[in-house]
Amino acid sequence: MLVMILFYAFSAVLIAAALGVITTRNPVYSALCLVLAFFTSACIWILIEAEFLAIVLVLVYVGAVMVLFLFVVMMLDINVEELRSGFTRYAWLGWLTAFVVILELVGVLAARRLGVDATQGTVPVPADYSNTHELGTVLYTQYVYAFELAAVLLLVAIVAAIALTMRRRQGLKVQDISAQVAVRREDRVRLVRIEPEKRP
Amino acid sequence: MTPNLLIAIPLLPLVAALIAGLAGRRIGRAASAGVTILAVGISCALSLYVAKLIFLDGVPASDITVYTWLVSDGIRFQVGFLVDRLTALMMVVVNFVSFCVHVYTIGYMRDDDGFQRFFSYISLFTFSMLMLVMANNFMQLFFGWEAVGLVSYLLIGFWFTRPSAIHANLKAFIVNRIGDFAFVLGIAGVVYWTHSLDYADLFALAPSLETATFALSAGTTVPALTLIALCLFVGAMAKSAQVPLHVWLPDSMEGPTPISALIHAATMVTAGIFMVARMSPLYEFSGAALTFVLVIGGTTAFFMGLLGVVSNDIKRVIAYSTLSQLGYMTVALGASAYSAAIFHLMTHAFFKALLFLAAGSVIIGMHHEQDMRKMGGLAKYMPVTAVTCWIGALALIGTPFFSGFYSKDALIEAVGESQRAGATYAYWCVTAGVFVTALYTFRLLFMTFHGKERFGHDETHGDEHAHGHGHGGAPHESPWVVTVPLIALAIPSIVIGYLTIGPLLFGGAFGDAIFVREANDVIGELGHEYHGPVAFALHGLTAPTFWLALAGVVTAWYLYLKSPGTPARIAARFAGLYSMLVNKFYFDWFNETLVAPFTRLVGKVLWKGGDQLLIDGAFVNGSAKFVGWAAAKGRRIQTGYLYTYAFWMVIGLAVLLGWFLIGA
Amino acid sequence: MPDTQNWWSTIAPAAPEMYLATVICVILLIDVFAGGSRRPRLTGTLTLIALAVGAWVTLEYGSVGGRTPLFGGLYIADPLALVLKLSALLYVAVALLYSRPALARRGTGGEYHVLALTALLGIYVLASAGNLLSLYIGVELLALSLYAMIAFDRESPVSAEAAMKYFVLGSIASGMLLYGISLVYGLTGTLALDEVALRLTAEPSLGMVAGVAFVVVAIAFKFGAVPFHMWVPDVYHGAPTTVTLFLSTAPKFAYFALAYRLLSQGLDGISPTWTQMLAIIGVLSLIVGNVFAIAQANLKRMLAYSAIANVGFILLGFTTGTAAGYSAALYYTIVYVLATLGAFGVILLASRRGFEADELEDYKGLQARDPMLALWMMMMMFSTAGVPPFVGFWAKLAIFEALWQVGAVWLIVIGALAAVVGAFYYIRVVKLMYFDDAPSAPRGEASGALRLVLGVNALATLALGVVPASLFDLCKAVLG
Repeated sequence: MLVMILFYAFSAVLIAAALGVITTRNPVYSALCLVLAFFTSACIWILIEAEFLAIVLVLVYVGAVMVLFLFVVMMLDINVEELRSGFTRYAWLGWLTAFVVILELVGVLAARRLGVDATQGTVPVPADYSNTHELGTVLYTQYVYAFELAAVLLLVAIVAAIALTMRRRQGLKVQDISAQVAVRREDRVRLVRIEPEKRP
Repeated sequence: MTPNLLIAIPLLPLVAALIAGLAGRRIGRAASAGVTILAVGISCALSLYVAKLIFLDGVPASDITVYTWLVSDGIRFQVGFLVDRLTALMMVVVNFVSFCVHVYTIGYMRDDDGFQRFFSYISLFTFSMLMLVMANNFMQLFFGWEAVGLVSYLLIGFWFTRPSAIHANLKAFIVNRIGDFAFVLGIAGVVYWTHSLDYADLFALAPSLETATFALSAGTTVPALTLIALCLFVGAMAKSAQVPLHVWLPDSMEGPTPISALIHAATMVTAGIFMVARMSPLYEFSGAALTFVLVIGGTTAFFMGLLGVVSNDIKRVIAYSTLSQLGYMTVALGASAYSAAIFHLMTHAFFKALLFLAAGSVIIGMHHEQDMRKMGGLAKYMPVTAVTCWIGALALIGTPFFSGFYSKDALIEAVGESQRAGATYAYWCVTAGVFVTALYTFRLLFMTFHGKERFGHDETHGDEHAHGHGHGGAPHESPWVVTVPLIALAIPSIVIGYLTIGPLLFGGAFGDAIFVREANDVIGELGHEYHGPVAFALHGLTAPTFWLALAGVVTAWYLYLKSPGTPARIAARFAGLYSMLVNKFYFDWFNETLVAPFTRLVGKVLWKGGDQLLIDGAFVNGSAKFVGWAAAKGRRIQTGYLYTYAFWMVIGLAVLLGWFLIGA
Repeated sequence: MPDTQNWWSTIAPAAPEMYLATVICVILLIDVFAGGSRRPRLTGTLTLIALAVGAWVTLEYGSVGGRTPLFGGLYIADPLALVLKLSALLYVAVALLYSRPALARRGTGGEYHVLALTALLGIYVLASAGNLLSLYIGVELLALSLYAMIAFDRESPVSAEAAMKYFVLGSIASGMLLYGISLVYGLTGTLALDEVALRLTAEPSLGMVAGVAFVVVAIAFKFGAVPFHMWVPDVYHGAPTTVTLFLSTAPKFAYFALAYRLLSQGLDGISPTWTQMLAIIGVLSLIVGNVFAIAQANLKRMLAYSAIANVGFILLGFTTGTAAGYSAALYYTIVYVLATLGAFGVILLASRRGFEADELEDYKGLQARDPMLALWMMMMMFSTAGVPPFVGFWAKLAIFEALWQVGAVWLIVIGALAAVVGAFYYIRVVKLMYFDDAPSAPRGEASGALRLVLGVNALATLALGVVPASLFDLCKAVLG
């Protein structure tokens, strides 16, 4: 019973937070709403005893990704109003479509023929059951192929990010620190002896 | 026989044709001639080897599929070779004649600008003809059928600057289209009833189809096999120039002489004969179709021979002779004497090619003069040509012991034995044809090689200076590249009949390549009275045909040597008959004044009304306008804004979800 | 270790992927440490060598007789995967070859080639995916590499815009794919596609229908089918031609694998649902692609709409839900991509510094300036238009035949009409090249060797058209 109450409470917060992400005008508020959404999702995961995933979600997404996001958003001074100028003209159409999709999804969920009975749902596990251990076991055995590929995916992301941003542009004025440090007196100062001018 | 061996035989000439055709200018004349002759030579040697395997070593026939081009609705379209005794014989004939013609061409076309092109064409022809005879299915047969037609078209119009050549090749093409249309209908019939294009399937099913019928309209039905056989035969009529689709062959003499020898005497025109022989398991089950074949063949054999008597162009005389001889072969087919038809096809290929090449030699010697009225007494100047031409002529009229005698006599006797409806008519036609044949053949010989010299140094015509080469207009013997093929063809023209009549006709050398029903086996009947080639020839001396031929020779001698004024008097006396012959029974007049204008009128009405107004106007231009309008309007959707794109995606998803959720 | 042999034999069929991953790292390192101005060229050459070896590795280890699951079913080695991988590898190699002069002109860095290789790895993973997880990772691996490649030319704002659009829309599609996958997973309780197929009920639940719809939308987006096609013209047009060439060719095999593995294998039991969805999307693609292509003035943009239309044909092959239809779709994909490769190859070879050769105007009178290039282009256009005897004709015929077998006459009618409309704009290119007067445009600066490769490419469309049986039989055999 308690679980049910918690579930609905977290769900309500999650939906509200998700709505907040796309409706607030200030991008910083949006990002913060997203943090809230991630956090409540993590809470829901704990309810189905997926502790490890929940913790990772908080650590990685909330702790790392979203903080980075916030920095970027705060540093770039984005004028949201300008971006939205074309958006609001068709807002009614957007709302209509969103409404239709929601209606359809609700229709799916409400139907008796949803079909979740195919799976039995989660079963309670004993207290000494280690979610992390279980995940580790399958991750490095059964799913090693997907795991390795995910690593390649990260590599691609790194390569792409570096290739797209690290670029020596022609004519860019930068300081070469090592050259500055390594410079010797002889390179900079030339002593010139000038013969005094003789009167004829 | 390995597949590679069989593939090599047609492919070598094709490769040579491509080399000579595409790179001919770059590699030069000698190399073009060399590569094509080499390729056809090897191909010829290989087909002789195949013939040896089949006839002497008794290797069984092979039916192999080389490549499946595509499969549609269970019907396989493939390239395959059926090499049995019939095919092996045809391969040798085609390759041997082709080889001789290749060599001969070096001399004949020496001064022509299109030297390489010519070699490319004749090699391509050899390839096409080999594909035709080696086919094991109708698709490939049809390919070969069309390909030889195409090359024939190209070669008749080889000198494409002459209007008469263009007219002739167009005529050949159009007449052949009529035949091809029927031929395709025949193939369609085969596919309809057997659901396959392979010969083997048709032959296996033919007996069971004997009772099948096809409803033309409610109430009228025709036997299926007769329908197929007739359709295929109409195709053969066009290709093998049978009345009334023969009109293109005399005109085809506009092409260079080697072509007349190769295509329009020895090989392509016999494709129809070969096809019917190949389809003997089909024709045997349709008496009605065979009667039709008999009547057409008989008509062609006699009446086309008559035209040879009044023509003055040396090549046209031989062309009418070819028509007539093709008629003989067709008659044999109609009498179920398929082996006799093929036998005559083979001997005819040799001696008719010989006659054409000899005529070509005369034409070279006379500096491209073809009118026999301006010749005479040439034997003195061109001894080799004269002798070989005599050999060809003797073979053609059926002098005992010459090759033509064996095939023609056997053929006539077979027709005499036949009990089929129409056989009596055909028998009289071919018998009377013997006299006509002798008449026009010796008319040609006497007018060309003997009698008064009617070419003269006093006669002035434009060509003479162009071709004079310093020794005036005097005829001269041709170079060795011309005479050697003549001799090479003269030898089989004499002996091939003597050597092969036994095995081919009565020894069952064709094995099961030709199928004859017990009741129709006229050749088998003849076989009871056959006691070797010598006895056959001696018996021939007492037969009416021999005396008829002799009468023809004597008549020719009287009319054209002894009393040269008589023919003109006869012509004047029987002016009506004479003008009918000179006008070739008015076939051309009928076609040109009635058929062609009517067709053109129908075409014009359909073009103006159907094409321009309806299809071009309403459909093509109308729809193009609509599409252009829609495209211009539709471009607005592609705004270039990201949110529009995303929005369309979501709308698409929503519609898809809604549609199927409501449906489910 | 006594069982090394044994252990290796259980994963040997996956050697091509391992090889590719290794080679990516090696080339990346060489690229970093090899200095000097020759660096981009060196990496390009190394990549081509690596691809040649890769072809051998794929053929040697990837050819397994039947269906061999590895890594607990995450990886499937079968003849289809082999054919897809080899085709993709070949097309990637040729695409990189065509791109060499253009890349050298721009001085594009070595990472470009590394990204091409990772994209190829993504295609490999998709071709062999036996599990929703590996399927998704393959999609992302490919997509991420492509996003980066499109944005590679930082100097060009058009490229950046194209990359941004593709990235954002691709992320949305990716989200939809994930949502669909999660529904499928939730309703069947398994990620393995074999298991999914077994647990499907004949009458799909509403949840499953929704899941299928999401998945189909994602697949349609990847293929660039209407109405999820909006990115295609902008990306084809905006990306550097080398990248357009790349992303219009080899990835199509990956998307074929995505559709086949997910729909035809995993969701085979409820095929009526998704075949109908694909039929709608396919028909829309045919109409929109062909009609809009006519109004284009830019060749790359025209080819983008042509891609949309041709994808419609591929999807029509899928709508049959039969093996004949899938093999026709595979055949169509191979054949269409072959001609596309050549068409973009012509654009690249006709271009030079400061002249992109991507406007239709640029092709006016090409025949007079560069007759050979015009001839090759004509062959590509004829093949794509489906003019016999080019191979494109057989591809269309194969699709129609498959549709005929299931009695989808109305799809054949629409397809045939679309093909007629399509023929118009393909042949218009030929008309421009051969019948219009030549403005004085510069000639391409490609080397003779590349022109030779392009010639082989063009002649292949003809040769495969004259003897279509072997390739078509292969397609039938691997999907039989």
